[in-house]
Amino acid sequence: MLLNFDRLGGWKWILLGITGLTSAFLILPIVFIAALSFGSSQWLIFPPPGWTLKWYAMFFADPRWLEAAGTSFYIAAIVTVLSVLIGLVASFGLVHGRFIGKEGLRALFLTPMILPVVVLAVALYAFFLRIGLNGTVTGFVIAHLVVALPFSILSITNALEGFDKSIEDAAVLCGASPLEAKLRITLPSISHGLFSAAVFSFLTSWDEVVLAIFMASPTLQTLPVKIWATLRQDLTPVIAAASTLLIVVTIALMLLVALLRKGLKS
Amino acid sequence: MSFLQIRALRKDYGIVTAVRDVNLTVERGEFMTFLGPSGSGKSTTLYILAGFENPTAGDILLDGESLISTPSHKRNIGMVFQRYTLFPHLSVGENIAFPLKVRRLPKAEIDAKVKKMLKLVRLEGFEDRKPAQMSGGQQQRVALARALAYDPPVLLMDEPLSALDKKLREEIQHEIRRIHQETEVTILYVTHDQEEALRLSDRIAVFSRGVIDQIGTGPELYANPATRFVAEFVGDSDFVDCRILSAQNGRADISIGSSLTIRGVPMHGGGAAGGMAALMLRPERLSLARGSVGEGTANLAATVTDIAFLGSNIHVAAAAETGEALSVRLPFGHEAASSLARGDMVSLGFDPASAHVFSA
Amino acid sequence: MVLLTERDSPPPAARLRLVRPMNFALTVPALLLLVVFFILPVLSLLLRSVMEPEPGLGNYAALLGSTTYLKIFLNTFVVSALVTVVTLAIGFPVAWALAIMPSRLSSIVFAILLLSMWTNLLTRTYAWMVLLQRTGVINKTLMGLGLISEPLPLVNNLTGVTIGMTYIMLPFIILPLYGVIRKIDPAILQAAALCGATRWQALTRVLIPLAAPGMVSGALMVFVMSLGYFVTPALLGGTANMMLAELIAQFVQSLVNWGMGGAAALVLLVVTLTLYAIQLRLFGTARMEGR
Repeated sequence: MLLNFDRLGGWKWILLGITGLTSAFLILPIVFIAALSFGSSQWLIFPPPGWTLKWYAMFFADPRWLEAAGTSFYIAAIVTVLSVLIGLVASFGLVHGRFIGKEGLRALFLTPMILPVVVLAVALYAFFLRIGLNGTVTGFVIAHLVVALPFSILSITNALEGFDKSIEDAAVLCGASPLEAKLRITLPSISHGLFSAAVFSFLTSWDEVVLAIFMASPTLQTLPVKIWATLRQDLTPVIAAASTLLIVVTIALMLLVALLRKGLKS
Repeated sequence: MSFLQIRALRKDYGIVTAVRDVNLTVERGEFMTFLGPSGSGKSTTLYILAGFENPTAGDILLDGESLISTPSHKRNIGMVFQRYTLFPHLSVGENIAFPLKVRRLPKAEIDAKVKKMLKLVRLEGFEDRKPAQMSGGQQQRVALARALAYDPPVLLMDEPLSALDKKLREEIQHEIRRIHQETEVTILYVTHDQEEALRLSDRIAVFSRGVIDQIGTGPELYANPATRFVAEFVGDSDFVDCRILSAQNGRADISIGSSLTIRGVPMHGGGAAGGMAALMLRPERLSLARGSVGEGTANLAATVTDIAFLGSNIHVAAAAETGEALSVRLPFGHEAASSLARGDMVSLGFDPASAHVFSA
Repeated sequence: MVLLTERDSPPPAARLRLVRPMNFALTVPALLLLVVFFILPVLSLLLRSVMEPEPGLGNYAALLGSTTYLKIFLNTFVVSALVTVVTLAIGFPVAWALAIMPSRLSSIVFAILLLSMWTNLLTRTYAWMVLLQRTGVINKTLMGLGLISEPLPLVNNLTGVTIGMTYIMLPFIILPLYGVIRKIDPAILQAAALCGATRWQALTRVLIPLAAPGMVSGALMVFVMSLGYFVTPALLGGTANMMLAELIAQFVQSLVNWGMGGAAALVLLVVTLTLYAIQLRLFGTARMEGR
C-alpha cells in the first residue's frame, strides 16, 4: 500500500506537501535571482522598487566580464575535446582489454571525483608554481581535465558495456577491418555516451570554482573566478545579471540534452 | 575434393579442452547442423570457422585452401548471430548495404543488391526502418539478408532463433529452408534444439563434450544412433538395464531381470558377454497390450503410472518390473488406451531389431 | 583433461580476439595525466607537511595541539553531520513521493531537481547570500508577517552554511534514494498489509529497512562531500565557524605555510578516504563529487 500512490490515504498529502515545499526550496532562489536581476535596487531589495536593465548593460559594458566568460568558454571547450578523446581511448582499454589490475585501474581513474577538490587545488598550485603553469591556459586546462576525465570515463565505459560486442564482430565478418568496424559501427552506437561525456566535461570545467581560484592570475580569469572575486567585495546586482545569463545557458543545455534524448529514442 | 574440410581441430583454453579431434567434411550447398548441449564444443567450432578464435591444432580448408591464417574480415564468410546484431544506428537498407560498402562496390550495384536481398527475405518496403522499430523475427531476417548480401560461400548460423518464441521460430525455420534452396549457399548451423536440427538439416553432427559423436542424416541418427548420447539427444528414448548374454556381428542377446531374454538386438560400443548394458526403447515404437506378460520374448511387463492426453496422441507413463520409467506414445483412439487407468498392468511389446543396446 | 560444461556462447576470452586485443596501452594517456598531475602533486604536498619548515611531525603537533584548529575540525564535523541529517530527513519522503507519484507530476519535480543541480554553484550560493541577508526576502517576509521585530542573523553563521549546503546536497541524496525505492516491489508492501501490518508498521519494519542501504550510502556520500566543501562555507559561513577546506586554502594562500597546509590536507584526505573505503566495503560502488 505504501508504494501505491492512490491508496496512501492521508499520508499522500503529507508526502505531497513535503515534496512541494522541497521543490519550492530548490526553485525559489533561482527564480528570485532572475527577478532581482531586473530590479532597480542596488541592495537587491524585494520586491524591487522598479524594473531596469541597467545591470545587464553594466555586465555587457565591462570588458572584464566578457573576457572572463570568453576565457571560461575557451578553456571548457579544450577540456571537453581532450576529456572525450582521452576518455574514449582509456574506456576501450578498460572495457575490452585484458590485463592484470584492470579493476584497480578503473577505480583509480575515478578517484579525482571523490577527493576534496581543495586538496587537488592546493597540490596543483604548488606544482604549477614550480613549473610555471600558474595563470596559464595550459594550467587551467590540465587542472580541469583531471576533474573532468572521471565523468568522461564513467559515461563512455557505461555506454561501451551496454553495447553488444557481437555487433562489432558482425561488422568484421561483413568485411570491415577491425578499425573500420570501430569507427563506423561502435562509435556511432555509443554516441549517447560520448555526448554525455562531452556535456559533463564541459559543465565541470565551465562551473569549476575552486581549482580556478588557485590557477587564476590577475590577467587570466574564468567567469566563476570573476564572480567569486566580485562576491567577496559586495553583492552587486551585476552578479544577479551574470547569474541569470548562466541559468539561461543551463536551461538551454538541459533542453538540448532532453531533445537529443528524444531524438535518439525515436 | 570436399568443399569445406575441418581436419583434426582442437581448441584448448589453458588446461581446459573445448574441442578435440573434430573431423568433418561439408559438400557445396549442404545444410550441416552442429547439434549438442551447451558446452559441447559446437559454438567453439563455429567461432574457429569465423576466425574469432585460433585453433590450438588442426586445419580448415575451404575449396582446398587453408583459412587459418586469414583474418575474419577477409574470410568472406557470412554469419548470423544468436543475438540481434543489426547496427542500431543504420536503417535496414544501410545494414544490408554495409558489407557491400566496405567492399567499395559501385552505388548502383549496391542498391540493386539491397533490393534483391530484401525481396529474398520478404521485407520489401522496410529499407528505411531502424532495427529498433522491427520485431525480433524481422531483425533476424535482416541479419540473414546482410550476411548473404556479399554472396559468401559459407553461411554460419549460431542459434539464430533462440531468442524467438516457438511460433515465430517455426515460421523462420521455414524461411531459412526456402532461402537455402533458393540461394544454394552452404550453411553451417548451430543449435541445441533437436527438432530444429531435424527439420532443417541435410546432415547433423552431434557434439558431446568437445567431440563429434556421430555425423549423419536425421533418419540415420534416429534409426541407428552410434552412442547412447546420440540416442538420448535425437528423438525420445528410455533405457532399461540389461545384461549381455552373447554378442556377435553387431547384434546381442540380452537378459532383463531374471526371466526375460531378448535375442538379436543391434548393439553399439562393443560389450562382452556377461557385461552390463542399456537397452534403448523409443516411445513411439512400443506397442501396448492389457494384462500380464504374454509368451513373446520382446515383451516387458509394466505398471501404468500416468496417462496424459496430448491432442493427436496419448502419452502413457509406465514403470517396468525392474523399476525403470518407460513411456509409450499411442495414437488418439487406440483401443487399449481408452479404458486404461493408473495402476493397470500392461505389457509393452517391441521389435528387437528396432531397439538398441549400448554397453555400459 | 577437463572438459567445458555449461557454456553456450564462446568463453569471454573468445570475444576479445576479433578486434585486436585492446590492452593496457590505451589507458596510458589517462594514466599519465593522473600520475603527473594528480597523484604526484598530492603526494608531494603531503610530503611537505613532514618536511617544512623542518623534518618531523611538528606541523601535526601544532595542528592537533591548538584549540583554534580543533574547533575548526569540530565545526567541520558538526556542519557535515547537520547537513547529512537534514538532507536525509527531507530527502527520504521526497524520494518516496517521487517513486510513486504520477509521472506527470514527478517529471516536474525532476526538472526542478536537475535545474537546481546544474545551475552554477556560485550562482546558487550567491542567491542564498541575497535571500538570507539582513534586508533579504526572508527577513522582510518574517517581519512583514509580524513574526519577528528585528532581522534574524541568517548568514555568516552556522544557519547560513547549513541552509546553503543542504540546498546543494539535497539532489545527491534524493536521486540515489529514488533509485533504491523504485526497485522495491510494491507487492512486498501489499504482502505486509495482508500480514496485518498497520501503515506505520509497514513503514518502519518493511519500507525503511528495505531502503536503508540507499539511505546509509547516500548519507555517507553527503557527509564526505560536505567535509571537503570549500565555496559555500567560505561565502555563507562566518569567520567564527570556518571549515577544514577553507583552513587548507588559507594556510597556503594567505599564510604561505605549506607545511601546515599539507598537514591539514592529509587530515582531510585520511578521513575522506576512510569513509570512502567504508562505503566501498558496504556497497561495492560509490559515486561522489566534491567541490
